[in-house]
Amino acid sequence: MAGPDGVILYLKGLTKTFAGHAAVDAIDLEIFEGELFTIVGPSGSGKTTLLRMLAGMEMPTSGDIILRGEKINAIPANRRPTCMVFQSLALFPHKEVGANIEFSLKIRGVDPATRKRRALELMEMLRLPESYYRRAVTQISGGERQRVALARALAFDPEILFFDEPLSALDYKLRKTLEKELKDIHRETKKTFVYITHSLEEAMVMSDRIGVMRSGKLVQIGSPQEIYSTPNSKFVSEFIGDVNVVPVTVTGDRKLTSAEVPGEFRAPPIADGMKDGYLVVRPEFLRFLSEPGDADNHVAGKLYNEYALGSRIQYHVRVGEMTFVLEKLRHEAFQGKLDQDVLIGWDAADSIVVPDR
Amino acid sequence: MKTRAVRIRHALIVVWTIAMVIFVYLPSLSITLASLTSSRYFIFPINKWGLDWWRKTLDSIQIHQILETSLVIALVVTAISIVLAFFGALAFARYDWKGRSWFQKLILLPIFFPQSVLGLALLLWFNAIGLQLSWQTAVFAHLVWIVPVVTLVISIQVYSFDPAIEEAAYDLGASRLQVLREITIPVLMPGIFSGGLFAFLLSWGNFPLSLFTTGADTTVPEYLYAKMVAGYTPGVPVLGTISTVGAIVILIGGYLVMLALNRRRRAGAG
Repeated sequence: MAGPDGVILYLKGLTKTFAGHAAVDAIDLEIFEGELFTIVGPSGSGKTTLLRMLAGMEMPTSGDIILRGEKINAIPANRRPTCMVFQSLALFPHKEVGANIEFSLKIRGVDPATRKRRALELMEMLRLPESYYRRAVTQISGGERQRVALARALAFDPEILFFDEPLSALDYKLRKTLEKELKDIHRETKKTFVYITHSLEEAMVMSDRIGVMRSGKLVQIGSPQEIYSTPNSKFVSEFIGDVNVVPVTVTGDRKLTSAEVPGEFRAPPIADGMKDGYLVVRPEFLRFLSEPGDADNHVAGKLYNEYALGSRIQYHVRVGEMTFVLEKLRHEAFQGKLDQDVLIGWDAADSIVVPDR
Repeated sequence: MKTRAVRIRHALIVVWTIAMVIFVYLPSLSITLASLTSSRYFIFPINKWGLDWWRKTLDSIQIHQILETSLVIALVVTAISIVLAFFGALAFARYDWKGRSWFQKLILLPIFFPQSVLGLALLLWFNAIGLQLSWQTAVFAHLVWIVPVVTLVISIQVYSFDPAIEEAAYDLGASRLQVLREITIPVLMPGIFSGGLFAFLLSWGNFPLSLFTTGADTTVPEYLYAKMVAGYTPGVPVLGTISTVGAIVILIGGYLVMLALNRRRRAGAG
């Protein structure tokens, strides 16, 4: 993405407590004009509460929400220039597709002809057939309902569009299609999107920037690439899926040992003062070695099993109590037998050491 | 073997259904038969058929008054209970508030009271506070029993209602009042409508509560009972038939209106 034009939404120490428990805990965040920012976290991390505060459906306990330099804490949802696409989509079941899309225009007193023209424009942009204008929302497919919900929100012409996991109820294939479609819509409309999801994979596909949330706090903010290759904690590195995480102790300059795996390992630069932490290596950076010297680090283990993941093949290698995960592209498949002794390794530059946070 | 067992089972189901229809609906039908006699007394088989008692009944000013009393009570009860039960149902099934579980239990309790005891209790209470008994006190008595029923009927609709759609409308710029008018009421309409039907029919046919609380006014069920106890004429089955047919007409009419509403909605009056 091109450089951001400026800050559209600024959160300052935003906090929401329920019965003494901070669901959202002193969040500071800047969201830039026109970006697709995704907040990702497991259920119960407070992401929905955060989004509901931004949309005006929950009042913050403390802290400020500042939209284009103006504090909007006390402005209720129906007077905020923002709009939300709900997890359940919340289409109006008694209204047709057209009437759903036009709702906000009707509320503003726009005349029916203009309303209809706008609705049809949006339907065309979202590839909904014109004949759907008079269709009941109960008579269209899940993906189409998704588009109607998006069209309804876009008709409002919001400054910021919020998404509360709108794809979570769909099957995998449709979800994958709609993720890309949503990113294309973002490109077309140039609006600011704030999206929440529990799937970092989904966040990776769509986002300009990602904020990872845990227990009410944003633990890391960065581009998808940064989150993927330089997670700042064990939590973030494990959140993305299969990864090798080895508990380690720092023994010297760029030197590590582990209670779980024999040997001393070479590591990339480690933050000053760190004693214990976790060595993180992504599965695609682990290799099968023919000689111990083929990589900076090596360990010996037994091939436990292999799994075909479409374009890639995943291997599990047991080293003592630990299981290492390796992934190879299909045409680079490792030819081995189960329970065969194997040597695996990685280069120091392909690993990182993170604290236990 | 299996097809034979299936055939026997089907035959039994048919026999059972016919028996049910006969036992449930034949008595009602015999009321109509009893009204078609020209003699003064109730004798089977009927030896003199005629519509004399229908003429007499339809001409009677007293009967007109009784029908009017029943109709007015039923309409007023319907109107009030729809309003109370609509908001009651939202409190029952939609909003989470302190004391909701108590409300849910307390509101249902009157349904399970024996109605004659409830009627007597209300009679004593009306006397204690010095209210003159009339059709208005009967309206109150009916409401005590009918509002809970209608609340339950509408609540069923509220439970199938995604609260997010109200939030979505609000988020799209609607005021609270616009949300109520554009979303909440239209979406709950089927429930409100069937609640209204329930209210009307339960009030129209109610005997025990009316007996204790109407005072000098008389409703149709009260009149039927009084005439059965003393002074039977074939006018009783005539009025009984009118009352039953009236209820059936309203029920079928309501069902048709409902179908039309659904069709219009689907065809998209948006």
